[in-house]
Amino acid sequence: MRVLKIIPERCTGCMRCELACSYEQTGTFQPSKAVIRVSSFEGHTSYAPYTCPQCAEAWCLTACPVEAIGISPAGAKEVMDDICVGCKLCTIACPYGTVFYDPDSHKAFKCDLCGGKPACATVCPTQAILYVEAGTEDWLGSFAAERALPGALAGVR
Amino acid sequence: MADTPYAYAGRILRVDLSTGRIWADPFPGADRRRWIGGAGLGAKILWEEVPAHAGWDHPDNRLVLATGPLAGLPVWGTGGLTVVTRGALTNGATSTQANGFFGANLKFCGYDAIVFQGQSPKWVYLHVTDDKVELRDASSLLGKDTWETQQALEAELRLTGHRLSVYSIGPAGEKLARFAAIQGDYGHVASKNGCGAVMGKKRVKAVAIERGAKGVAAAHPHALLATSEEMAHSLKTDPSTSSLYQYGTLPGVRNLHGMGALPIRNYTTNVWPEGVDVKLWEAKSLREGFDHRGHQCSACGMHHCHMQVIRSGPHKGELVDEPEYEGWAGAGWAIGATDPQQVSWLNTRLDRACLDVNEFGWLCGWVMECQQKGYITDKDLGFRLEWGDVEGAGRLIQMICRREGMGDLLAEGVKIASEKIGGKAAECAIYTMKGESPRGHDHRSRWEEMLDTCTASSGTIDSGPAVFPTEFGLPARISPQDPVAVARQVGTLRGRRHFEDSLGACIFTTRVPIDLLCRSLAAATGWDFRRDEAIRAGRRAVTLMRAFNLRCGIGPGIEKPSKRYGSTPVDGPIAGVSIMDQWEKLLDTWYETTGYDRASGRPLPETLRALGLEDVIEPLWGAGARA
Repeated sequence: MRVLKIIPERCTGCMRCELACSYEQTGTFQPSKAVIRVSSFEGHTSYAPYTCPQCAEAWCLTACPVEAIGISPAGAKEVMDDICVGCKLCTIACPYGTVFYDPDSHKAFKCDLCGGKPACATVCPTQAILYVEAGTEDWLGSFAAERALPGALAGVR
Repeated sequence: MADTPYAYAGRILRVDLSTGRIWADPFPGADRRRWIGGAGLGAKILWEEVPAHAGWDHPDNRLVLATGPLAGLPVWGTGGLTVVTRGALTNGATSTQANGFFGANLKFCGYDAIVFQGQSPKWVYLHVTDDKVELRDASSLLGKDTWETQQALEAELRLTGHRLSVYSIGPAGEKLARFAAIQGDYGHVASKNGCGAVMGKKRVKAVAIERGAKGVAAAHPHALLATSEEMAHSLKTDPSTSSLYQYGTLPGVRNLHGMGALPIRNYTTNVWPEGVDVKLWEAKSLREGFDHRGHQCSACGMHHCHMQVIRSGPHKGELVDEPEYEGWAGAGWAIGATDPQQVSWLNTRLDRACLDVNEFGWLCGWVMECQQKGYITDKDLGFRLEWGDVEGAGRLIQMICRREGMGDLLAEGVKIASEKIGGKAAECAIYTMKGESPRGHDHRSRWEEMLDTCTASSGTIDSGPAVFPTEFGLPARISPQDPVAVARQVGTLRGRRHFEDSLGACIFTTRVPIDLLCRSLAAATGWDFRRDEAIRAGRRAVTLMRAFNLRCGIGPGIEKPSKRYGSTPVDGPIAGVSIMDQWEKLLDTWYETTGYDRASGRPLPETLRALGLEDVIEPLWGAGARA
């Protein structure tokens, strides 16, 4: 699966990602409706774009009482507007604060990877946002093997 | 946003400071197409609303902070602010720009411009968040510099970064220094013609705009995104802009020195002083000689604006804004300072005080030369100020900001100060007779810009450097000291700059073919908008500013440089070549090209008619002229 890889050191805070994202979401350039957001700290010239990391174990999805959050073909956790009742539980469950509530439509909204062609990555002029294949190495596996009792896993298949 | 016109918010925010009344006027479709926004909209308001008797410091003067149709859209460098007012240096029209996020954030609040009128009885700042607009008490902000003001408002409003735009004046604006600027979003300065003094006179300390929740719609969004990529490609790859893309205006120092246009020590020389490490002044060194990071304006991908940290010297560790070429010249070469670390510090000090770096360079360089020659004594000034003394120049800023001692006179700008002191001191000051500050070059080798500065109606250059001149039927390159070719170029390009300054975009990201700009505007607005209309719109704006100036009594008699500004270089690449020998010829050709009357300076009735300015004919030429 491809994911959004964000390299904050490259971000210069131009907010183009927010403009493009909001256009995909709403049809107008309206950063208040963007689902990628840049946290900027001018005094430190520090910028950090953040958006939904599309958790494998998605709490928004599990928390939703009406099963309005599904998994799209692109692998994104997606809110289905016709099912969402606007209870905001997903926004509370999300550990990253990247599921939002739209007071105009009374629905939750979040990054859907633009159906597999994320606009934020396309328009970022400094390649601070990349859409890349996620690494699949089992990095906890080697850690576990190292810590495991010698022979404990022998014979386990 | 079905009720919102494409690319515009469709409303102009009006603030009467005398009464505290705040309201929104519509910005109707016909006006949008005729004036576009920014400089065009400002020129219209100035002409219609500021009478001749209302000088820069009169309550009836207007302070227009306008953006344009591209602001808030994903075109590079489109957070644009154009300030239009009757300015303090020329007491005439002003059009001066800054970028950052002003335009984008204002449009997201639902306004295309803010127009101040009247004068507030006490110091205030304007707070804008969507439809909630208030004048708030600014007494706790007084005395703070522009960066401190922004930090204080960030803390008060609990917002950081680009979710809050603050454009403010520092102490120099509060004390009505005639070359005070308006500074915003850490390092973006609308610096010309004392627009900060106008803001100070109106007792507005700052404008704080929270990014609104509204959207800006484009008529053809996909075409807009595609054109925007095309513009980006042009900026990155065209030989005339690729170094600008890479390093902003940093290469200017070396390049301009090569052509004798780097102003060194108040125009007394055009050659690097001995012992200067020239390598430090290459673009790459100016960038990498500091810890740095990009600090881009709305939607911009240029590697232009940066923040940097001073690496050595008394101000080591301080966070500053990477100077533009103008800063390296005004806070550096013009005053004989040659250490980039120190120059960078002084440049940000000027931004924070809200002083125009160009005028400061001419003023401080003049004081230094006068000290050296004994025209201004240590006793007059209160201390000794030698060439290249950056800490001393910092002290001068403080004196100007407090109007302390000689600082009171210096705050009036170099023209008034040198005329007051008189004698030989008056002869070595750099200014135009209209009062506006030349930009940070030695224009004795850039004839096009000296002519442009002296004939301009906007308080700074009107035409600017030639961008794709062949689009205007001009040769790609001209002999720089051919008066006819130079004047024809300046006159023919007239209008392009004011069209750009009406878009809400940056002058650097609009350095693309004008057809590309037109396509971008067409995609944003849905208009069928072509090159001819763009040039007409720009010329209409700048011609109206000229008409405004004529109404205020600013005529062609003072369209010339001061003695030093128009002097003959003594060394360097064009030593001995005098622009003043050709001055009349430059003016003759320029007037012929622009369609203005050589004797009275007035745009000819047929010129006005061709620009759709029929209603200006009678005020300029009298009742009989219309027929």
